[in-house]
Amino acid sequence: MGPLDDQVVRADSLTATPDGLDIAVYSHWYRALPLPSLARVDLTVDGERIEPSSLSVTVNGQRHPFAALAEKGDEYWFTTDPVVLHVPVETAPGREHRVRLLLGLSIPYILTGPDRVPLVAPSLTDKTLTAAGA
Amino acid sequence: MTDTAPGLPRLGTTLFSLSLEQRKPGRDFASLVAEVAARDLGPGLEMVAFQSLRGWPRLDDAAVREVRGVIESSGLTPSCLAINNDLGLYPGRLLTDDESYEYVAVQVRGAAALGFPVARVGVETSPAILERLLPLAEELGVAVGVEIHAPLTIEAPPVAALKEFFVRLDTPWLGFIPDMSSSMRAIPEAVDDAHRAAGISPELTAMTKQLWAEPGPTVAKFPELERRAAQAGASPAQVGNLKMLFTMHGKMEPERWADFFPHVVHVHGKFYGIVDGPDGLTDPSIDWPRVARVLVEQRYTGFISSEYEAHAYSDRYDAFDQVRAQHDMLKGLLEAEASVVVAR
Repeated sequence: MGPLDDQVVRADSLTATPDGLDIAVYSHWYRALPLPSLARVDLTVDGERIEPSSLSVTVNGQRHPFAALAEKGDEYWFTTDPVVLHVPVETAPGREHRVRLLLGLSIPYILTGPDRVPLVAPSLTDKTLTAAGA
Repeated sequence: MTDTAPGLPRLGTTLFSLSLEQRKPGRDFASLVAEVAARDLGPGLEMVAFQSLRGWPRLDDAAVREVRGVIESSGLTPSCLAINNDLGLYPGRLLTDDESYEYVAVQVRGAAALGFPVARVGVETSPAILERLLPLAEELGVAVGVEIHAPLTIEAPPVAALKEFFVRLDTPWLGFIPDMSSSMRAIPEAVDDAHRAAGISPELTAMTKQLWAEPGPTVAKFPELERRAAQAGASPAQVGNLKMLFTMHGKMEPERWADFFPHVVHVHGKFYGIVDGPDGLTDPSIDWPRVARVLVEQRYTGFISSEYEAHAYSDRYDAFDQVRAQHDMLKGLLEAEASVVVAR
């Protein structure tokens, strides 16, 4: 909840590539977070739910399977950089897609409840945008 | 620089105030620091290392030289570097004490390399870890301060334990960093913008503000908040947003900050908006005259970092202008209070 929510997926975030749809995602948290903080990516594209296990993610110029991020505690997603979700859906330059993303960032220094579980800060995006060419 | 008279707390800014500004096209670290200096919002400069410094916590020598160069050429004085103890770094477990110590120690060394006299951690950093950090803090000349932020108050068990711990060790290298979010007099107006965007009705927002303002400890009011919100038809996500207001805004009496002295190494001048009222500049949600009185009475001469946080709720206000207004207000209050304390 706040002004950064609207910047998570931006007007120019979608790119059509030969592999599928790339979605540039910006953080709604104010500081760089370690890669395991990218804990929850509930994504639907044009109403179709995308399994996180089918995603790969480019951070700091390196592409990782989504599940591998949980092990990358010594790497950080910097405040102003996007990560790119590579989504296996068919697309082409100029095509419109409805992107619904519930991004849940695990905040590793805010521990909640008696079990001291990290806070998950959610941000919900629901936008219809046009994919650019790669 | 808006410097206060000798013997008074000194003013400054944390770059955290500029969180939205940081995202604007063309902005970088150097331009933010330069603009803080150009607008006379020092002399103190604080930042959140993980927010402002690309590559943190492993800055190479060239990056350290670059950051130091930016700060030195601005003429600002490094006041505090906010660092983090990311205990929940990995899913399903917390860092061990050894991992936590290493995670923080690397950053305390980084703070020293950058020339900061204070490093801020959160209350998740236990007294046991702090005690292990003490020799390093002493050797490097960097005080490690634990931020006391809403919903914490002096009565919260971890805070009481820290108080006892700091009294026992009685060292200048460990202490508290009071944050004014713990001692507010009202929920800020800027919240209304965020609630409107989240589809929360003005009636729900007003109900939450009213319940917050009623007497009694905030923590005891959560069930009543949930009950009233559910009755009014709020969704679970909206109830979460309403509860967040109770977590982010504490109601401790400002005079209680006196209990944290003499073990205070830095102060966060958290605020959510200064308005120009009939009696001049005033803060509707934080009672700065009472805060200023405590700081002057305690002979605090460290920095108060202006920490504008309404950017979390609204982008309607200019953060630079807000910090300017807070500095003008605080300088007046601190100097007026000093003459009263001296006259006593």
